[in-house]
Amino acid sequence: VGLLDALTGRHQVKGPAPDRLFAIATAYITLQSEHQIDPAGAAAIVFQKLENSEFEATMREMEEVVTATGGESGTQVKSKDDEYGYRWMVLRNPEGTPSVEDLAVGINAVSSSIEMGGHGERLLCAVFAFRDTQKRKLYFIYNYKRGFWYPFVPDSNPTRPQERSTERELQLKAQMGNELPMEPELERWFPLWGIPI
Amino acid sequence: MAATAHRQGRKAFGKDTGLQARMLMTLFLLGLVYAVLVGVLIAVGAGGVTILVIALALLGLQLFTSDKIAMGMMGVKEVSPQEEPELHGIIERLCVQADLPKPKVCVMENQMPNAFAMGRSQKRATVCATRGILELLSPAELEGVMAHELTHVINRDVMVMTLASFFATVASIIVQFGFFFGGGFGGGYGRGNNEGEEDVVIVIMVAMAVYAISFVLLRALSRYREFAADRGSAVLTGRPSALASALLKISGTMERIPSRDLRTAEGMSAFFIVPARAKRSLMNIFADHPPLEQRLAALERLESQLQGTA
Repeated sequence: VGLLDALTGRHQVKGPAPDRLFAIATAYITLQSEHQIDPAGAAAIVFQKLENSEFEATMREMEEVVTATGGESGTQVKSKDDEYGYRWMVLRNPEGTPSVEDLAVGINAVSSSIEMGGHGERLLCAVFAFRDTQKRKLYFIYNYKRGFWYPFVPDSNPTRPQERSTERELQLKAQMGNELPMEPELERWFPLWGIPI
Repeated sequence: MAATAHRQGRKAFGKDTGLQARMLMTLFLLGLVYAVLVGVLIAVGAGGVTILVIALALLGLQLFTSDKIAMGMMGVKEVSPQEEPELHGIIERLCVQADLPKPKVCVMENQMPNAFAMGRSQKRATVCATRGILELLSPAELEGVMAHELTHVINRDVMVMTLASFFATVASIIVQFGFFFGGGFGGGYGRGNNEGEEDVVIVIMVAMAVYAISFVLLRALSRYREFAADRGSAVLTGRPSALASALLKISGTMERIPSRDLRTAEGMSAFFIVPARAKRSLMNIFADHPPLEQRLAALERLESQLQGTA
């Protein structure tokens, strides 16, 4: 916000940063081969839905596009609204053949249709799910506004809801810092609770 | 083609050049009034300059400590994500959306439904909700209210209002204490006693005028910034009607709550989402928040822009 904007209280919502989503499509190879972290075969994109007919039309167009691109790879698409009123589009690889590339292509198809519709500033983030050798869930979250990735590891202990394993996240940052453009400001590693993948 | 049309439509959403022009005009008038005050203070010499220096120190103190003092006085408590998962969840998503570092999240154990933001910069911001508002509003409405408070943070309203009211504070100090310390004004070289006394009277008269005019201007500025925060909230959430519904709910409850509860929060009302005074002011120019009807009308215009019917 510049001086004039601050003085006049003018503020526009920021659109997406230059796209670094596809970094995950190569980074997962390192995750798999060096750190024994396997893709869980699912990814999701989160955005605000606008309650108007024009946005609904964009949504319909987009679902067609994603279903069409997903048709070749067998990727399945499901929409879900969370309790905060955000829409999740969950993409799943066919059983047994996880492919981060297919998921990244699918997520990119969704985000580009939203941007094409002129609603780029409604995009919140994309989430890619992974599992380590103990079958623990690990997530990499892509923040569209910032164009950065960060790890998110919910604590697996059910007696401690809404706790995250910061230690594991910092390890992942150290392991993947060269491959993924990581969010440098730790206070922007926003958690997402109740990820449906 | 369609995409371009949409994009243009989106850009128009939430833009209000008139509001910005009014704000700049108000700031300009404030500057003009303040320039007169500073001019007079410098003209009377050493005493006036001393007052300016003391006032500057007070300003620094206010910027750096007022939020802590206010929070301590109002019994505001910082809450962890475990204690208030929903509130934190809403604020985190809005911060991602607004590309803002996460502020401190606080709750005030008070049944009066309200919310406010504090802090001089984005990095040191605090948003606070009362227990009453958390219980009263639905998640979407609460999101609208929190987006309004975060817009205050984005727009640096605490900083702008503190700076804008700086010379008004100076003027009020002069008016209040000028009579006691009056002798100091005439300290210039080679002046007779009579001249010094005249200076004191002039300074106090000017300070009174500056204080009166800037008071009205500052209230206007505060109202414009409330409109801007409503607008920012609507742009951030894409749901102007949710905020409108929240405002309706809050104001409905506010008027039923006895004023005994409200008095404690009186001094902070500039940054509350709805002013803490339940009584409706007779003269709008003295109000620091715009009337509810005007805010609802502005939100309604945004909703029709969003629906493409405007």
